[in-house]
Amino acid sequence: MAILELRNVDKFFDDFVAVDRVSLSIEEGEFFTIVGPSGSGKTTMIRMLVGMDKPTNGQILLRGEAINDVPANLRPTCMVFQSLALFPHMTVGGNVEYSMKCKGVPKPERRRRALHFLSVAHLPESYYDKPVTQCSGGERQRVAIARALAFDPEILFFDEPLSAIDYRLRKVLERELKDIQRATGKTFVYITHSLEEAMVMSDRIAVMRKGRIAQIGTPNEIYRSPNSHFVSEFMGEVNSFKVRPEKAGSLVDVESGRAIIVEPDAAPAGFKAGVLVVRPEDMLMGRQIPAGAACILKGRIVNEYVLGSRVQYQVRSGESLYLVEKIRATEDAEGIGSDVEIGWRPGDARVFDEPLQ
Amino acid sequence: MTDRSFDATVGTSATPDERTGRGAGLLRPWLGRLPRNAGFWSAMPLSLLLLFGFFGPLVLVVLYSFMPRGSFSPIGWPTLENYRDIVEQNFYISFGWSLLMAIVAAVLLLLVAYPLAVAMVRLAGKKADIYTILIVAPLFVAENIRLQGWSLFFDKSGFLDGAMESLFGVGTGSLVGNIPIVIFGLVYVYLPFMLFPLILGLTNVPGDAREAASDLGATRFQVFRDIELPLAAPGVLIGTLLCFVLSLGAVSEAKFLGKGAVIPIVQDIDSAFTFGQNWPRGSALSVLLILIAAAAVVVVMRRVDIDRMFTRR
Amino acid sequence: MSDIHPITRRLLWIFFAAACLLMYLPMLVTALASLSRSRFFIFPVSKYSWKWYEDTLSSLQIEQAAIISLIVAVMVAVISVALAFVGALAYARYDWKGRKSFQYLVMLPIFFPQAVLGLAVQLWLNTLGVPMSWHSTVFGQLVWIAPIATLVIAIQVFAYDPAFEDAARDLGATRWQAMRDITLPLLWPGIFSGFLFSLLLSWSNFPFAYYTSGADVTIPEWLHAKMIGGYTPMVPAVGTLSILVGAVMLCGGFAIAYAAKTIAARRRLATAAR
Repeated sequence: MAILELRNVDKFFDDFVAVDRVSLSIEEGEFFTIVGPSGSGKTTMIRMLVGMDKPTNGQILLRGEAINDVPANLRPTCMVFQSLALFPHMTVGGNVEYSMKCKGVPKPERRRRALHFLSVAHLPESYYDKPVTQCSGGERQRVAIARALAFDPEILFFDEPLSAIDYRLRKVLERELKDIQRATGKTFVYITHSLEEAMVMSDRIAVMRKGRIAQIGTPNEIYRSPNSHFVSEFMGEVNSFKVRPEKAGSLVDVESGRAIIVEPDAAPAGFKAGVLVVRPEDMLMGRQIPAGAACILKGRIVNEYVLGSRVQYQVRSGESLYLVEKIRATEDAEGIGSDVEIGWRPGDARVFDEPLQ
Repeated sequence: MTDRSFDATVGTSATPDERTGRGAGLLRPWLGRLPRNAGFWSAMPLSLLLLFGFFGPLVLVVLYSFMPRGSFSPIGWPTLENYRDIVEQNFYISFGWSLLMAIVAAVLLLLVAYPLAVAMVRLAGKKADIYTILIVAPLFVAENIRLQGWSLFFDKSGFLDGAMESLFGVGTGSLVGNIPIVIFGLVYVYLPFMLFPLILGLTNVPGDAREAASDLGATRFQVFRDIELPLAAPGVLIGTLLCFVLSLGAVSEAKFLGKGAVIPIVQDIDSAFTFGQNWPRGSALSVLLILIAAAAVVVVMRRVDIDRMFTRR
Repeated sequence: MSDIHPITRRLLWIFFAAACLLMYLPMLVTALASLSRSRFFIFPVSKYSWKWYEDTLSSLQIEQAAIISLIVAVMVAVISVALAFVGALAYARYDWKGRKSFQYLVMLPIFFPQAVLGLAVQLWLNTLGVPMSWHSTVFGQLVWIAPIATLVIAIQVFAYDPAFEDAARDLGATRWQAMRDITLPLLWPGIFSGFLFSLLLSWSNFPFAYYTSGADVTIPEWLHAKMIGGYTPMVPAVGTLSILVGAVMLCGGFAIAYAAKTIAARRRLATAAR
């Protein structure tokens, strides 16, 4: 059974619809991430899930029981805040123990358990007596996680806690968080605007857009088969073409009038018009690209960005710019100014049925 | 709060201004020497004023307190006779009343002002400044005008008595001339002095710390006791201290509302200086009062970090 | 939940409204008393008249007191803002050795019974042989008001990011230019509040005037003398007028601040449009 379930949950602020008829269920022990751009309603979502806001309509069920009206302090769930909200006047130990203190756990027991959770959160036990104000960014992060774990919550919520941390430390903490989740077997619900972050840690991801859920799936599903133009763009930069059907197995690019070959079942039934999307890493590029490409565009490389082991090229063809990503090339690589052909295999493109703007 | 622009010039022979040849013309040499101790020099004018206008008088009062009775010069053979007089005569009564009234007033002020500060900080939102000004503006009206106003309100055939008489046929009579009304006056006059520090203190309580605590299972009372109060403590301490010290040194409330029902210590000091023409005795009484106030200040201020009180984090 | 419960919320508002009313009640009663024709205040008032205001406005003594009070207030405000501005920089902006001690030093006069301080200053000036007049009152009030103005400005300075000044210096501004173009404009609201605060506190201050003004009489002193010496309805009349002058200062201050803000915003718009 799902540990947390949302049924047709709405949240209005006056006339503004922050969350619009969302239904989803989160399984016990899973690392579930809600991801979306700012303004997509994800913060409102988590505030309702934690109990700091009440849904306008619909139900939130914890193990099958409605908890809409249960305030945060009576829910068996706990949140790690974006600001962490560590209590600045307490030590690390004081912060970690606080929930046990509220429950009336005796001091020695509290201390014993606090020390345990410090080690779970990868902090040395000597930090117990350290004031939180003297901890570094990463340490504060771990204190916040230990504090939430010490509450022994059914579900841990995270509201973008890593957003203010520099890239390298963030990568370390992401992995740590995933480890902690596996080791404790707790259900983690994570909110972020970074799909990259979501990909690393999550078992399942829900992509939100304008208060609605655009897609739910495993990282692989979301990456491999985005169900809309929005999701595929949110995953990272893509090449998009406005298309309409021509004949079986072929679409036409609305802007250039060029025919594009697609797999027979690529376009949904009754497809009238929409967007065809190709990822940069699925693009083919060369002096001459092999036959069998969906279409061939002639262009010139205008920019080149090195991304570690890969290189991204910006290719101008006619009025438009396209992105092509390659493993870092060896000798005969084309550089800026080279004339190239670009294209893709019909199987690498995705077509979404969407009204054209 | 470090000041790198100033530190950077230490140890170099020329300030950037001098090297580029641009800048403040005649002022430049002066500015060039200034930076090493910008803090020290900026503190100088105010420090001099306080040295001359606060510590000087204070030292003088201490000196006078050791002079023989009725002397009008601070130079002479020191004696303890003024302090002996104070102990032997009944001055402990006014000290006692002043202390008691100050403590009661400070506690009452805390109880009254805390909810007001909460309303300002957590309910008023953007209008908090306007509401705060509204409630503390009477601070800018002379104390004796306002106290006289209360006297006209509470006195026999005053506003309250007259209104009750004409509405219900039963007046309240005179409500002035007793100790509770003096304490009421203290609470009224010093409310702004409690409110300001409390608002500052409560502003330093991060909203999400409160939310986090309740999320961790704390009840409203636990959030108040464990999070809000400790984090607002500097404001609470300073406000209470300020009101205690000011009430201890208050005199007008007893004059205009107490009408002689109680003699506060400052009135004794005033009479020693004026009617009594006994400056050493007035000085000795002042020294004792200052010592009590200073003890309270030292005890409390040790626990307060002023920088943190003002810096919202 | 950390939100305040709706019932508590309502109670808090009621409490706030009641507190506001109580804060102003004695002033309303004073105003009422000043309009009563009779020699002694008896409520309900049987006959209203402007007589006491006519008497007040034709009194040379009161006119003199008002002029002295105003001069003292303006002088105190100007001097204390000058002292407080640099003082606030030392208090909140610069990192220097004696800063903590300076912070406590500034707090001390505020945490001191005013009447005792007034007496001490009187004793001090007397011993130094300084003649008592409104000049010495300015000095006495400064001891108490300049620290308060410093705190008021310091609040603004604490919120001021020194990086702005560093950035200006980095862009080639001299120290003086950085102060004039960046620091002063950004701290201006604090400086202005400090001025207003000092002006109003001096206008309404009694203890220092009482002990240090010698033969000169300020409005609060005049009132005190009459209250002690024998009530006349001119007391509430002068009191009410004094309250009104204070209110005009306060509202005038706000009007100036608001106008300055609007003009600055309009100028910015105009520049943007160009």
